[in-house]
Amino acid sequence: MALANRARKANAAPEKPSLVRELVEIADYIAHLRTEIAALRANELTRDRLPMAHEELGCVVAATAGATNTIMNAAEEILGLPDDRNYRPAVEARMNDIFEACTFQDITGQRITKVVDALRQLESRLSRFAAAVKARDEGGIDPEEVERRVRNELLILNGPQVNGPATAQDEIDAMFA
Amino acid sequence: MALDLGMPILVVDDYQTMVRIIRNLLKQLGFEEVDDASDGTAALARLKNRKYGLVISDWNMEPMTGYELLRHVRADEALRTTPFIMVTAESKTENVIAAKKAGVNNYIVKPFNAATLKSKIEAVCGA
Repeated sequence: MALANRARKANAAPEKPSLVRELVEIADYIAHLRTEIAALRANELTRDRLPMAHEELGCVVAATAGATNTIMNAAEEILGLPDDRNYRPAVEARMNDIFEACTFQDITGQRITKVVDALRQLESRLSRFAAAVKARDEGGIDPEEVERRVRNELLILNGPQVNGPATAQDEIDAMFA
Repeated sequence: MALDLGMPILVVDDYQTMVRIIRNLLKQLGFEEVDDASDGTAALARLKNRKYGLVISDWNMEPMTGYELLRHVRADEALRTTPFIMVTAESKTENVIAAKKAGVNNYIVKPFNAATLKSKIEAVCGA
């Protein structure tokens, strides 16, 4: 910025050489770029927001796995209970374990909301930065992404569909009838 | 033909909870001899060492998928007649058609229930 100002003062005359004018423009662009990079707050993202998202998602995975295990254990224990007069209280005790395990959903919901907020913030800062510097994607595709796509295509790996199964079980059954 | 409840069944899934669910459902149906493997490669090793009456496999696993496992099984002279049921979240018609072409005996989409699993085992293994 200081360099650009000095250049402007030194070449205030309208007949200033084109080389100096171009240098002033480049200096202005660099100053603009520095402002936009600062607005990106990249250090804050990599130091705080992204590690937080990583940690929160790790907690979600651990909580869901823990709850699933508790529920599976209770169900297996119920299946193995002897059919005697203690059956009902024993079932009730395990049902309470299941209810308690299901409370994970409330906490994981809050954790996921934090991650979604962080991603939204990242998206908005990146969009603003890309628009400000008129960024264009490099041609071609990342080689790792190419490899992933080829594997998925060859092995027909589509993954779960967003709104439930793409083909209903009844339709599949008809294909095997 | 009645179901042979003594036949060994191989469950192939990389998600241990799903293995546990299928194992419990099979136990409720009366099957006691259940082994498991976490992907196609591990499943093939088990299939070489023991004769299974049924393979129940997921599709999306690393490094070897259930689809590749199915093709290996059907290409192997000693294994080609082993009944094979795919249990998967891969629910696009192209998946079902590809599995059928590769020789799958039946196909179940996740999530599924005990009744569906039972009816497919009966359809494949006779009942």
